Amino acid sequence: MHTLTTGPWTPVALSADLPVGTVIPARIPAGSIALWRSESGRLSASADRCPHRGMSLSHGFVRGENLSCIYHGWSYARSGQCIRIPAHPGLEPPETIRAKTFTVEEVGGVIWVATDEATTAPPAFEGLAPLRSMTTTAGIAAIEAAAGAKASAEGLVVPVGDTLCLLVSTRDDGQTLIHVLVTGAASAEARIGASRAAESLRRAAEAVQKENAA
Amino acid sequence: MKLYDYILSPSCYKVRLMAALTGVKLDLRPVDFHPGLEHRSPELLALNPAGSIPILEEGDLILTESSAILVYLAAQAAPEWLAGTKPEEAARVQQWLSFSGRLTANLGGARLHEMLLRPGDIGALQAQGIAALRELEAGLVEQNLRGERFLAADRPTVADIACFPYVALAPDGGVSLDPYPAIRLWSRALRSLDGFIEMPGIHRLHELKAEPTVEESKA
Repeated sequence: MHTLTTGPWTPVALSADLPVGTVIPARIPAGSIALWRSESGRLSASADRCPHRGMSLSHGFVRGENLSCIYHGWSYARSGQCIRIPAHPGLEPPETIRAKTFTVEEVGGVIWVATDEATTAPPAFEGLAPLRSMTTTAGIAAIEAAAGAKASAEGLVVPVGDTLCLLVSTRDDGQTLIHVLVTGAASAEARIGASRAAESLRRAAEAVQKENAA
Repeated sequence: MKLYDYILSPSCYKVRLMAALTGVKLDLRPVDFHPGLEHRSPELLALNPAGSIPILEEGDLILTESSAILVYLAAQAAPEWLAGTKPEEAARVQQWLSFSGRLTANLGGARLHEMLLRPGDIGALQAQGIAALRELEAGLVEQNLRGERFLAADRPTVADIACFPYVALAPDGGVSLDPYPAIRLWSRALRSLDGFIEMPGIHRLHELKAEPTVEESKA
């Protein structure tokens, strides 16, 4: 197992993949979360489970400053507090109806979620800009072998001879989430090249993984 | 224009969706695909010996390939949905129209296996489906880097409609869409289009409409 020293922080998604007024599924060691951004741009993370019937809140939708469940429309504020039950429009939902929430921070275009109380800030990667996220069945060791480089304490793999960096984290489902980062000034052409290089690296890492499992 | 249609068929939905987006009126003729196997009945085999749906019939024109039907609707009602004159754009439309046939085979095959118990190697179908989704995701990432939001251009074309339904319904075949942020944003962009219609399993964006107000009933 790799011990990464990002503390309680997990890099769950890239800022560009979560525009205002949307919700997406993500994973942290504590389980699945619904990651969402309100119309005014505020980020939130809650357990991916509606306290009402257990439906995934990441299947829901964002209207204004609230997240609504797709099943019966119960709406939640950033704090996780249920603020509206459409079937009972006159009812003020009791405080006990609350979705579990987590701390979210956005640094340099990467969204980090903390599982426990965060006393430190998530890592910042100077000079690097996010390109895209991808998942792989390859573990971090296989990615390191394919890249010919070891992961840093913060989970950054800098492949030999490439202009891209991979920010890796192991997910609770055994897959590895990779955020591909490139040097900030890269042209569109260079970024397309980096995206293709990342695809090739993933293929190579999955071949290593398969070989090691055989 | 008569469409031989089945509500749960993603390929029939492509045609209904294209017609809705371009304002074409279709005369729907429901086909009892499951469990009736009506698509293999003598009447339908006479129209389409391949025994598949959708079938579009207008006068003596009979079209049985969904991509051809999309092109026919667009050419009649909304040519901006076809490829423009740029060679890359024309080629990309054809590239993704052909690719959509693979989606029907892999993601569609997995879905038929899981929903209608059609025999098949589910593991292989899902693996091929994941490979196709990775290809689509990479293609969309590259399009975004070129400043274009859709598969062949910065506007939706028949290629997007051809690929969208089997992708959106991948979870029906046990294939998750969670790992594909670019596909998620593309799907959102398509579902945001004026005139977008739903099919079972593909819902509209509720947030595009105002919050409904309901009076509490006094039972």
